[in-house]
Amino acid sequence: MDLSFFKTRRFRLLVSLLTAFAAIFLITGQYRSIPTSKGKVITVGVFSDSYWDVQNGYAYKILDDAIEKFERAHPDVKVEYVSGIMKADYSEWLSERMMNDAMPDVFFILGDDFSTFARIGALKDLSSLIVRDEEFDPLAYYAAAYEAGSYGGRQYALPFECAPNMMFVNKTILDREKIELPDRNWTWDDFYAICRRATRDTHGTGVIDQFGEVSYTWKDAFDANGVVLFDEKGKNCDFTVKEIGDAITFLEKLNGLDSGYAVSERNFSQGNVVFQPMLFSEYRAYKSQELSIKKYSGFEWECLTMPAGPSGDNYSRLDTLSIAMSEQTTEKEYAWAFIKLLTSDREIQSEIFDYSAGISVLPEVTNSDETRRRITQSTGTPFNMSVLESAMEKTVTRTRFRGYDNALEEVGIAVSSILDSRSNIQMEQIIWNRTINNYLKTLSRDE
Amino acid sequence: MVEKTEVVHRDYDSVDQIPELVFRALCMLNFLILLYVALLTYHALWGYVNEGAALEFLLSAGRVPPMAWKYPVTVMMLYVSLQLLLSLECNNHPELVVKLILEFGIAIGISYMTGFGYTGMIVLLLADILRYTIDWKKRALYIVAVSVFYLFMNGNIVQSWINVVPLGKIWKYYRADHQERLLGILSMLALINMFLFIFYMVIMALAQMSEKERILILNNELKVANIKLEEYASESARMAETRERNRLAREIHDTLGHSLTGIITGIEACIMLMDVAPEATKEQLKAIAEVARTGIVDVRHSVKALHADALETMDLEDALLKMIDSTTRSTGVRISHSFRVDLNHFNQDEEDTVYRVVQESITNAIRHGGATKIHVEIFSDEGELHIIISDNGKGCSSVTPGFGLHHMKERVEMLGGTLKYTGSDGFMIHAVMPIRWGKEAEEGSQFPQNQEGQRNL
Repeated sequence: MDLSFFKTRRFRLLVSLLTAFAAIFLITGQYRSIPTSKGKVITVGVFSDSYWDVQNGYAYKILDDAIEKFERAHPDVKVEYVSGIMKADYSEWLSERMMNDAMPDVFFILGDDFSTFARIGALKDLSSLIVRDEEFDPLAYYAAAYEAGSYGGRQYALPFECAPNMMFVNKTILDREKIELPDRNWTWDDFYAICRRATRDTHGTGVIDQFGEVSYTWKDAFDANGVVLFDEKGKNCDFTVKEIGDAITFLEKLNGLDSGYAVSERNFSQGNVVFQPMLFSEYRAYKSQELSIKKYSGFEWECLTMPAGPSGDNYSRLDTLSIAMSEQTTEKEYAWAFIKLLTSDREIQSEIFDYSAGISVLPEVTNSDETRRRITQSTGTPFNMSVLESAMEKTVTRTRFRGYDNALEEVGIAVSSILDSRSNIQMEQIIWNRTINNYLKTLSRDE
Repeated sequence: MVEKTEVVHRDYDSVDQIPELVFRALCMLNFLILLYVALLTYHALWGYVNEGAALEFLLSAGRVPPMAWKYPVTVMMLYVSLQLLLSLECNNHPELVVKLILEFGIAIGISYMTGFGYTGMIVLLLADILRYTIDWKKRALYIVAVSVFYLFMNGNIVQSWINVVPLGKIWKYYRADHQERLLGILSMLALINMFLFIFYMVIMALAQMSEKERILILNNELKVANIKLEEYASESARMAETRERNRLAREIHDTLGHSLTGIITGIEACIMLMDVAPEATKEQLKAIAEVARTGIVDVRHSVKALHADALETMDLEDALLKMIDSTTRSTGVRISHSFRVDLNHFNQDEEDTVYRVVQESITNAIRHGGATKIHVEIFSDEGELHIIISDNGKGCSSVTPGFGLHHMKERVEMLGGTLKYTGSDGFMIHAVMPIRWGKEAEEGSQFPQNQEGQRNL
């Protein structure tokens, strides 16, 4: 056999280029698109317990139903998932899968992890799929829930399930203090007035043992007053605006009522606090017959919209569980179809009210009579749907950017520092404005 | 992969092997460095996953890092690819430019994989360019291009544009002091790489300087050789002259000598016959006149072209027969012959030699041996041509070769043959010479053109 060909330039060039292409093929994961005998498989990343920390034993029920429906529609595709990963370990599990180049094609993504994973480029940009898919309608979702999957102006995830932040009210105290339950459009003034009236020493021991609120944070106050902290790209922050000043002033006023007593959430569950902001999922979970005895059993309670600040409205923050697609997936179309099924199929979405504590991300499902019937049935009390509806109407989302969480932490430090210092708030705002903007500059430098 | 380079370049640099060795060392060093980086990175990443610190790492890295086992494999594959490209030799500038661009691409790939923590393989590109003997302006252009590229690739500049995970961040997996040390080793290896490259440049420059010196020396040698060559040329001309003179002498001996011998013998016979048989004498004299005329013609020919006589117009066999016939007629000696080979289509010099050997032998037999019977035998055997001329003359116990015999021998030997003679029973001359196309001659000579062609080969 003539071996001289293997010494020719052409041969070496060919081998060199082939090797390089093979390397690229390997590292970009393209090799996975080669069809195997196993057939098409979509893997799903999911955790086994409730996103809302309300265990009900139905962890995989909705997913299983969705898979069944999906496999019926696409007989050539199999959907698989690994069970048994706890929510607490889920982020780490996903990270490990990512580093081992074994990302599931489709995975649930926790609200807190979303920006991290989007930032490191682990999530597929769905924008082009959304534009191309004529059946898909972004307006079918709650705007705020949909926004939760966007990062830097691109859509990286679709919402699966959400829960607005709402104000829980201890009706027993209000009745005792002869205070009327505020309506849906209540304001900070109403909020403060009730708190002031409720904060007192009921047992005559000289120590305050009944409080107005707990866990009402600066974030709630900023949201209520319509504060927009950062610009689109997170390059600037205007910390000197009046809305922020008002919010801080209000918080200072509110904190002043407790005369230094550190109120905890335990006080609320013991029935000693009037207000506590909580996710709506808590309401659904502990109003249900099975769990109602576990928590908040010693008093009557109800949920309400968040109070409105003078420059804002009754805005609620929305906590959203989203579903994203892996950047490395090779079954883009099927993955997209499955995500769509999970997030926008009415049948699947309405199961959320049966097997989970959140609410559907589709207003059409959430506001249906069927849903009202189910919630009423499970909570055992007639539920005033309009409260939820109005809360969902006024949900806010934050524009997320790289380093958003860190920037938010920086603002948190600023607010607590201003609250502690008790000096001129406007002066402090100007000083902190510079600090925060400097921090944002270092963030964009790192990019 | 280094092996391959070696094979390719083993006969590449014929001038000096040292730069080639240094180049190979550079390739090897880069291989080791990349192996070091790849394995450590792989180990660190594996460690993060294994210890449940993957999320923490991703948060600090801010980027999906290279993937698990594919990382070292990909790095090595890219390096193999680069080595293969480096082993390619280019014949012109477009090829070189294309090759450089491809090499750049792969070098960027490797650097990207190392988070631009190691970009030293670019010096391989530089070293490779230096191996080409191209004019210094273009070479400078290439070098500047590669160097600018190298500068940009280096370290932090690229890291600010391209989102990569710096090696330092991945190696944070190791304890701080260990990490420092590991990074230190890497920069040390990178420095060694640089030093080796500088060494390579120096060696290369030295080699080129010595190359210039070598060319100077060679130039001088060439001059000397030229002078010698001129001397040789004039000497050769002198020798040609001498050779020509010898040939002239031979020709005179061959043609005039033969004719005169015939004439003398004939006239002696006439003297004896004249009284007894005037008629026969007349015949004899006519034959003698014929010989003399032939002689004259021969002389003319010799003078004109210094070339053999009858062969000029006839082929060998006819010429031989004519010679035998005329000799028989002029001298009365009985000459028998047997030609058992096709005598035609020999080469010119061979024909000449055969003719001269036969002619000279007959002349000798008549003149010195006083023979009355001569037998000429020509045959071929095992690719050799045998010529045997035997006579019934006096013979002699010891032969003192005269000019004729000596000249005959010389001719035969010039063709690579041998000439033997013996004078024990009459006189016998046996010439053997290799036939250059004897076989074809034996089998029939239908394709003289072909033979002609082969001969020219």
